[in-house]
Amino acid sequence: MDKTNSARPAGHRPTRLAGRLLVAGLAAVLVAFVAGPLLRLLLAAEPASLRAALGDPEVRASIGLTVGAAGAATGLALLGGVPLAWLLARRRFPGRRVVEALLDLPVVVPHPVAGIALLLFLGRESPVGAVLARAGLEVVNHVPGIVAAMLFVSVPLLVSAAREAFTAVDPRLERVARTLGDGPATVFRRVTLPLAARPILAGAVLAWARSVSEFGAVVVLTYNPKVGSILTFDRFTTGGLAAAVPVAVLLLAVAVFVTAVARLLVRERAP
Amino acid sequence: MIRLEGLTVQSGPFALADVTFDVPPSGYGLVIGPTGSGKTTLLEAIAGHLRPRAGRVLLDGRDASDLPPEARGVGFVYQQYHLFPHLTVAENIAYGLRRVPAGRRERVASLAAMLGITDLLGRTVHRLSGGEQQRVAIARALAPRPRVLLLDEPFAALDPATRRSLRRELRALHEREGTTTLQVTHDFDEALRLGERVAVLAEGRIAQAGTPEEVFRHPNSAFVARFIGAGNVIPGTVRWSAAPPEGGQAGAATFDAGAFVLDVLAEEDGPAHAVLRPEDLTLSRQIPEGSARNHLRATVVQLERTGPVTFVHLDAGRPLLASLTTASVESLALAPGVPVVATCKATAVLLV
Repeated sequence: MDKTNSARPAGHRPTRLAGRLLVAGLAAVLVAFVAGPLLRLLLAAEPASLRAALGDPEVRASIGLTVGAAGAATGLALLGGVPLAWLLARRRFPGRRVVEALLDLPVVVPHPVAGIALLLFLGRESPVGAVLARAGLEVVNHVPGIVAAMLFVSVPLLVSAAREAFTAVDPRLERVARTLGDGPATVFRRVTLPLAARPILAGAVLAWARSVSEFGAVVVLTYNPKVGSILTFDRFTTGGLAAAVPVAVLLLAVAVFVTAVARLLVRERAP
Repeated sequence: MIRLEGLTVQSGPFALADVTFDVPPSGYGLVIGPTGSGKTTLLEAIAGHLRPRAGRVLLDGRDASDLPPEARGVGFVYQQYHLFPHLTVAENIAYGLRRVPAGRRERVASLAAMLGITDLLGRTVHRLSGGEQQRVAIARALAPRPRVLLLDEPFAALDPATRRSLRRELRALHEREGTTTLQVTHDFDEALRLGERVAVLAEGRIAQAGTPEEVFRHPNSAFVARFIGAGNVIPGTVRWSAAPPEGGQAGAATFDAGAFVLDVLAEEDGPAHAVLRPEDLTLSRQIPEGSARNHLRATVVQLERTGPVTFVHLDAGRPLLASLTTASVESLALAPGVPVVATCKATAVLLV
């Protein structure tokens, strides 16, 4: 008796084949839906108009502003997010779950809503905004407003990546390091951080990419100077597709580059 | 020296209650107990990872109860090795030598040589075998010359051959370095082989402490007796029957207990203890036929019935304990004064 045959009666074979085709078909449709528009956008850009866009001072300034502001937002996210993620991964404290739930909110709130909340919190009429203004830091309608909006929507990505990274480090490794003569801070520097660094870095790249792609929250706080997403929208509403496409293609190129770097970082992790 | 005085610790589901135990300077102590009895908790409390609710931990006579782990001078080896995956073998061993730059290389090299891992020093730790990883973990723990070495089931995840050779190396290393060592295990044979002091841990309490022989011969509770299996510990001398076997192999030998001589399988000759579990002794009225090599003439001294099992106390020139089913005792018509033959296989004799 052949057991494989008796376990899988012949009558089931057509059903299995149909099932496979269905799964593959649905998957292919979705991939086409994502890849199609992106390819179409690339094809829509004529080399001449791309060259013109690259030479356009406003486009160049906008891309520089986007990349720089996103970099600043990611730096701030790392500064506060890594300690916070470590606390969430390693310490039990009252309100830990509240903090975790709170950090999920910027991801689910519509981004213009996040922008309005930030405007109310950081505007000149608010106590916080007034203090910042007196210290010489204008937020709304200035570059710090862009950074604030980007930080708000991207920091949850970084904190959750870093929390996962710290959770994955076995506390017994840290305990062994303590018995070998290192205090808690040294153990963090010599063991915990090196082991968590790569996933944290990947999280930082994702947060940076999220900042680059942000529109809704930034547009409420600071329309001018224009980041890339706002410039694309601005060109589209004033000059139509022909004006928007070259800028859009350049932003797409930046996104592809960043995604590739992030994937490499994650994949190169030691087995 | 390790001294625990009334140590009481609560850590999640594991708790220790009023643990008092000590390991003499340069001694080798063992704590044995079943899974979940609090063995790892005990070691982590000694290392300073857990704060005791009550009681004290003394290391080399100094109260270490309030010291952080980095100030206690404790080497720790976990069952699953826990090597630093981002460091090479040499970097792992040298981890605790950061503040002693002088002689660091020599220390790493000499520990690696003693443990036979010199060829591995430049490797990353990912592809090492379990035995190799455990050797690296032991070298790493010993490198800074700790006051005490704590071993958490160090051989449990290894195959028997690796376990035997590592046990031998660890014993040699212990003699050479003289580091006071405390090992936890669930295996009583390990205690008989290695320990000078043994404590049986049950549900967070020390059920019995003493030399391995004392505990083995006189378990003070049903729990200890069930857990370790009470039995016969016989002092004597091992002699090779023929040429000594090649290094590390077991060979045919005799064990001279004075009152009688047993055929045994041995790894070393010289003075030793033979351990014979009562259930491995069969009794008969005449010498039976079969493959068993050892037949001892003895006299029944006393019968001790415990339900379906009867412990038969024998005199074979020295006391012996056998356990039989009560049905066997009746069919053999055993009674005090009856002469019997006690039989066991050479492979049933454990030499320690």
